[in-house]
Amino acid sequence: MSALIARAEAQNPEAGFRERIAENQRRVFQIAYSILGNSADAEDAAQEAFLRAYQKFASLREAEKFRAWVNRIVFRLALNRQRGYRRRLARDTAWQMTETPLMVDGANDAEQLVMLDRLRREIERLPEKLRAVLQLSLVEEMEAADVGALLGIPAGTVRSRLHAARKLLLEVMK
Amino acid sequence: MKNACENWKDQLLEAALTGSLTAGLQEHLRTCTICSEELDNVRARKARLDTLLPLVAQGSEPSANFRARVLAAAEAAREGKRAPWRVWTLAGATAVVVVVLMIAVTLQRRTARMIPGDELAAAQKLAEWRAPSDGLLVTPGQEILRTMPRLGESYLNVPVKTDEEE
Repeated sequence: MSALIARAEAQNPEAGFRERIAENQRRVFQIAYSILGNSADAEDAAQEAFLRAYQKFASLREAEKFRAWVNRIVFRLALNRQRGYRRRLARDTAWQMTETPLMVDGANDAEQLVMLDRLRREIERLPEKLRAVLQLSLVEEMEAADVGALLGIPAGTVRSRLHAARKLLLEVMK
Repeated sequence: MKNACENWKDQLLEAALTGSLTAGLQEHLRTCTICSEELDNVRARKARLDTLLPLVAQGSEPSANFRARVLAAAEAAREGKRAPWRVWTLAGATAVVVVVLMIAVTLQRRTARMIPGDELAAAQKLAEWRAPSDGLLVTPGQEILRTMPRLGESYLNVPVKTDEEE
């Protein structure tokens, strides 16, 4: 059966790629969203990641390989975007003393929106190592092993950093 | 929170996160209402954090047409990749046409140059041919008109026949 599928995919690479998008789009989007905090930027980053995957699709036909590769790429793309965004924000608002609120999707009411905005800011202030682990661990289907594979650290380290991150958040989110 | 209770702060956080109390903290909580209240606060904060944290990543979904957009962009990228091949193909075809034309012109010129020997001799003869009536048009003064006298010499240097010669 798998041989049949492989043969069909070889004849029609578009079909295989379409399937890979369907399998991964939600998680890839959420990785970007966890870092960028808004749907528009997250979709752009996710789209770019899939386009890069498309260009390398010949070597990424295996589902597991594709999944790991696209996770890593979207993570890097989102981080790069976020750094660019921060630089622009720092440059454009250097004269202002007020903070520009981050865009937040998915909150149900105003109070939750405010809390979520604050939480995002506190996550931003976390040490980078803890922040990356926390952001990736929040994505659905991302187990400690997946996060570890993406960041190049053991699953045990992922768990301990996640605990440390949550503890810091618990302390500051009064 | 009293200064003495500050030492328990870390353990209160741990207790809220892990859900288990150490023996020391349990003992302290029996006598300290401040820390007991603080533990309740931390637990409430933990519950709120548990609600909010998933929203950081999972609060939103990709749009319904996301997959179609990615596929369209991939298609556009593939077309863009093909375009240089088209340009190169066009350039190659143009180069081939130019080379063929140059070869054709060169061959034509070479063929034109290769005139057969008998035709060439006939053309030479034709070029040297003079009509028999040309001799009648020669005048005695014709030689004078063809020459240019040197400075000081007479323009009319007509050879004169002397009597002795006669």
